[in-house]
Amino acid sequence: MVHSELSRRGFLAGLGGLGAATILGGCATGSSSGSNSSSTTLTLQSSLSDADPKAALTKVVADYPKTKVTLNTIAIESFRAQLPTYLNSGNPPDVLTWYAGSVARDYASKGFLLDVSDLWTGDGACAGFSPALKELSTATDGKQIFVPTSYYWWGLFYRKSAFQEWGVQPATTWDEFIKLCQTIKSKGVNPLTMGTGSTAWVASGWFDYLNLRVNGAEFHRDLLAGKHAFDGPEVKKVMEYYKQLLPFFDPKGRSYSWQDAVTPLTAKKAGMYLIGAFVSSALPADAVDDLDFFRVPIIDSTVPLAEEAPTDGYFASAKSHNPQGTKDLLTYLASPEAQQQFIKLSKSSNLPTSQKVDTSTFSPLVQKGIKHLNETKQITQFFNRDSSDELQTTADTALTKFLDKPQDVNAILAAWQASAKKVLSS
Amino acid sequence: MTATAVETPVAAAPRRGSGGRRVPKVVWLFLLVPAAVEIAMVFWPALNSFYLSLTKWNGLGAAEPVGLTNFRDLFSDEVFRGALKNNVIWAIGFGGLSVLGGLALAVTLNRPRRGIGLYRSAIYLPMVFSLAVTGLFWRVQYQPDGTINTLLGAVGLSGLERQWLADPTTALYAVLVAAVWRQVGYVMVLYLAGLKSTDPTLDDAAAVDGAGAWQRFRFVTWPQLRGVNTVVFAVTVIDSLRTFDIVWAMTQGGPYHSSELLSTYMFQQGFTFLNLGYASAIAVVIFALAIIFIITYLVRATKEEATA
Repeated sequence: MVHSELSRRGFLAGLGGLGAATILGGCATGSSSGSNSSSTTLTLQSSLSDADPKAALTKVVADYPKTKVTLNTIAIESFRAQLPTYLNSGNPPDVLTWYAGSVARDYASKGFLLDVSDLWTGDGACAGFSPALKELSTATDGKQIFVPTSYYWWGLFYRKSAFQEWGVQPATTWDEFIKLCQTIKSKGVNPLTMGTGSTAWVASGWFDYLNLRVNGAEFHRDLLAGKHAFDGPEVKKVMEYYKQLLPFFDPKGRSYSWQDAVTPLTAKKAGMYLIGAFVSSALPADAVDDLDFFRVPIIDSTVPLAEEAPTDGYFASAKSHNPQGTKDLLTYLASPEAQQQFIKLSKSSNLPTSQKVDTSTFSPLVQKGIKHLNETKQITQFFNRDSSDELQTTADTALTKFLDKPQDVNAILAAWQASAKKVLSS
Repeated sequence: MTATAVETPVAAAPRRGSGGRRVPKVVWLFLLVPAAVEIAMVFWPALNSFYLSLTKWNGLGAAEPVGLTNFRDLFSDEVFRGALKNNVIWAIGFGGLSVLGGLALAVTLNRPRRGIGLYRSAIYLPMVFSLAVTGLFWRVQYQPDGTINTLLGAVGLSGLERQWLADPTTALYAVLVAAVWRQVGYVMVLYLAGLKSTDPTLDDAAAVDGAGAWQRFRFVTWPQLRGVNTVVFAVTVIDSLRTFDIVWAMTQGGPYHSSELLSTYMFQQGFTFLNLGYASAIAVVIFALAIIFIITYLVRATKEEATA
């Protein structure tokens, strides 16, 4: 990028640029993307800063034959904070990693995202993707603005050998599940683990699922969009179910991060963990083969089956100087070969969005995950991805408080509704 | 000072000084460049945040002026009021404990004894860690199965064991202890330097006159520490208002905002939610608090100096 010889004139120009940036009002307001994407080079701004995914994307991008692509990897927290600035700058990165669903839709409604609808029609790279994925990648005006390349599933993860030791089976209905928890508890083991200390968002996993099981995906989406109240009767019913689970959680979980909470699961001091498939990265290698999962039990069989499947991928900037080159790059990133290579190299339990990827070499756990999602009628992502990070913190406050003081549920829900209203109206 | 200098027979010196005031133009240039950089990169953005505090802005497009709405919202915002209260607790706890602790340690360790350097370095040592590292270190100690609970259990106080950082009644104080643990060595070094510059003969004279240890400290040593006190006060107030990293590393303001400080709330509003106008309003409040404390103290201190 700017690594060309640093002449004095260039340096002074840079100083001037810095000054101009500060005049615009300090760090967050200045445009910090120094990318100089001419038509020959494309810029890919990536938030995948963990070692394995970063190396995987670097390799995938290096193999792109058509144009030279500059990969900028930024730590996810800065990426999140700077994303509006990237998109709004005069010379934005061409392609950016991010999430499908309401976040992408929100940027699309501001006119920041490139319309990639032609990738979704005819023999476009995304044409064969599932309708649920297409819906997640579609903006409010009906145009597709997102290219999903991988997603993962959530489930109740457990160790097969532990379930064998305790002589228990996965549950399919709520009553069975409560009995399962009671049996595990009678063995002196905490049935459920959940790290809500430094990662309070994990508590939303159970909230999302109970809401999906009790009220269904449509209600859940509308709730997160502000069309229903968090202190309404539907949510109160969800909290009734949540309350039934409270005696089964490892009480130390409220000091743990989600990674810390995996330790009791590995040590067979906790029975089950409702978490995303990324949990496999937090387990020691020998325990990964022992890991299995089952679906969050059904509460009301009349409610259409829904699952959480957070979807990752790319969107492109509307201001890209080379829209065609950008679309070509997206086509490549969405191709079965690129997806397969990325998933393999990043050592994740992510699923490919392309059905043409040969999944026979994937682990049995991942194959089960593919089947798990294929069986569901509706897909949601996760609380923050279906709403916003700001609404997520209102959930964090409400749910961690609820875990501590379940008797105050009505007051907590009323406060949640008040703060959610403030967020949604701002 | 200058007046006395002019009256001295060495009149050449000030004249040379005034002659030196005709600074070569190139020196001005060298002064102007850093001044311009300072203005452009420090003062101008700072002024901007005052302007931003009167707007609604999410970092995109133009900021929309909203008058004093942000400030009105702030004072009806329960999280903000909680953070303000926590900041008061923090300033008193952090300032009080680190000053008292630092002063006590400095007085104790001021006398030459064998191995004193070792003690001093041991106490100063935490200061070399960054606050974020200190926070991570203490977070491990505070874990449910961490050192602190294990120690309490070992001495038969298992009734006191708790999840220090997950309990809203203890979280803020748990972080406070970690912050004081680090700060106390710093304050100690400042006071040690101050004690070194006191006049030992005064202390001896008071001892000969029959003054007790406390009396000698209170009426002989303490008044001589006035200069250091000003520095310690300013440093402590600024440090306590800008406290951010250690709280962020240990609790991120949680559980449910119970350990939220103004700085962490500002960061969250500004950089997680991109409510830049609202965050700027919080920043302005922090600035106002700092400046009020420091100006009142400095005014008082200089007045005392003038009358003394």
